[in-house]
Amino acid sequence: MSFKIKNHLSLGVVAMLAGLSLGHGAHAAAGPHTLRVPGQMPASRTDEASLWTIMDGAEQVAKASPDRIKDPALTGYVQSLTCRLAPEYCKELRVYVLQRPAFNASAAANGYIELWSGLLLRADSEDELGFVLGHEITHYAENHAIETQRAAKLRSNVKFALSLAVNWTGQAVAANAGSVQAANDSVHTASAIKELLYLGNIAAYLQYSRVNETEADQAGLERASLAGFDPRAAAGVWRKLIDENQASDFPSRRNEPVGSSIFSTHPINSARMLALTKAAQGAVPTTPEQAQERRRAYRRQIRPFLSAWLADDLRRRDYGQTLLVIDRLSSLGEDLGVLNFYRGEALRQRRSDGDLAKARAAYLSASLYGDAPSQAWRNLGDLALRDGNTAMAQSAYMTYLGRAPNAQDRWIIDAAIRAMNTAAGR
Amino acid sequence: MSLRIFKSALIATLMGLCVTACAVIPEAPVGPYSVGKSYQVTLAQPWNDVSLIMNARPAKVRLLSLDGPLLNRLYLTDGLVPGDFMVKPAAKERPTPVYRKAMSASERVEFVSDSVAALDYRNVETTGLRPGKFGPHSALRFDLTAQTAEGLNMSGTALISEVDGKAYVLIFLAPSEHFYAAQMAEVENIIASIRPKT
Repeated sequence: MSFKIKNHLSLGVVAMLAGLSLGHGAHAAAGPHTLRVPGQMPASRTDEASLWTIMDGAEQVAKASPDRIKDPALTGYVQSLTCRLAPEYCKELRVYVLQRPAFNASAAANGYIELWSGLLLRADSEDELGFVLGHEITHYAENHAIETQRAAKLRSNVKFALSLAVNWTGQAVAANAGSVQAANDSVHTASAIKELLYLGNIAAYLQYSRVNETEADQAGLERASLAGFDPRAAAGVWRKLIDENQASDFPSRRNEPVGSSIFSTHPINSARMLALTKAAQGAVPTTPEQAQERRRAYRRQIRPFLSAWLADDLRRRDYGQTLLVIDRLSSLGEDLGVLNFYRGEALRQRRSDGDLAKARAAYLSASLYGDAPSQAWRNLGDLALRDGNTAMAQSAYMTYLGRAPNAQDRWIIDAAIRAMNTAAGR
Repeated sequence: MSLRIFKSALIATLMGLCVTACAVIPEAPVGPYSVGKSYQVTLAQPWNDVSLIMNARPAKVRLLSLDGPLLNRLYLTDGLVPGDFMVKPAAKERPTPVYRKAMSASERVEFVSDSVAALDYRNVETTGLRPGKFGPHSALRFDLTAQTAEGLNMSGTALISEVDGKAYVLIFLAPSEHFYAAQMAEVENIIASIRPKT
């Protein structure tokens, strides 16, 4: 487990991760720093075989998840990038894209990789995504999961044992409730416990991950570079995360190093970025035109999902962060109808001083582009009406109805227009 | 993570187990059921008032169920004032939707659907927005579809009304297969029975 920033694993996966401690290490084929042989399967009755069984279960959960994006173009794209980065493992690495707003990717011991939409939304180009995938593939290629399992077992530390105890008790709570969801939303105590469990288990599980993470950074960068990705993009991934933390609406989030809090084993810091910058020195520079074209090529891949992913990101309700992401996406100069609309959405929902005026300006900007969602005009009308600008409200509402004649709120908009006409004596 | 935090976690776990194992769930019997001080509904069959096992629930939110909250749940709120939420945040950094002053119609619908999403439902969508009634007051009525984290398809219906600057929300959720349709007549009767207290 490697590339997680503020993620929200289900209790089931937590249990699976916790289950790593149940393996037996005596007969495993893979050793520290040994590259996995392509097609290598664990010998039966080994700790590695146990780990694979657990991860096979986790893979089934991911496969059946309602969050899974099955779009063949997108999944084919990320799978092809994976094969480009690791042709030797192409047949055994399986990438699942999950629609979840956090910045997260992970590679399991059995070769399944999770890539979350929050990461895809934040990557600026294929080069950045290539580095992240290279990082994850390194965890797989270098058998980091089994190393971590053995390290945790050898340490036998109290924290790990306690976290397991908490986890098992929590599973009983969840079982009692009927499902993870039941524990989560009908009995909020269980939800709080689940959080503690998750944090506790991940903390225990990641105790030895610092070395692995450094290896994954370096080898991932090399792998990406060999596959033709710009290695200088690697440090940029971490830079973005640091900047995004600083843009948070929440002081506690701004004050913590990225990847810290419970994941304090390997926070993303300037030293880590410096190491990547240094490793990328000497690479053939990409021209600005090439860089721009690579950004455009990447945007073409994610464009069909921009709206859904931004709407998801808004549900995190960290509007400062979402606005920064939108600013970055806007810097390409494409998709400005969609991006300005979601800028308006973020500002409208935040409603800090001056935000509603800025939201109105953002919706107005969106309305200048053909890709603006029809709701931009409805929300513009709502804000104009709130400000008493009935002329603008009417014009925006009419445009909205023209663009979305079958909108489910048509009767509300019609009524608002009638009320304005009546008030104006028309 | 310090030993102290883990001790706290263990204590919380045991307390949680006690809540789930020991709490007596009261029945909401046939007849009038009061939702706070503001209004009442009439139940045609006995429901379970599972509000008490919603630990850390907002005081203004009641939760009724017939067969357990996984199979059907009916949320009823007393008057929410600006700043109130339907779903209590688990942490300061993970806020849930709050009701705000002077929300537009689409914002009221958004408040409800985002609150449902905050209950860990996925792909929440609203359909069939139509006029509704909250007792003598006008309301927005609409239907919902969603999925649980495990992928179970859910259906729902919701109503939100603003009266004197306060929001009143009713949400019914149940699995799309069998349970939703099976209870809809009862839910419609409950909605039709809403009576403000004088």
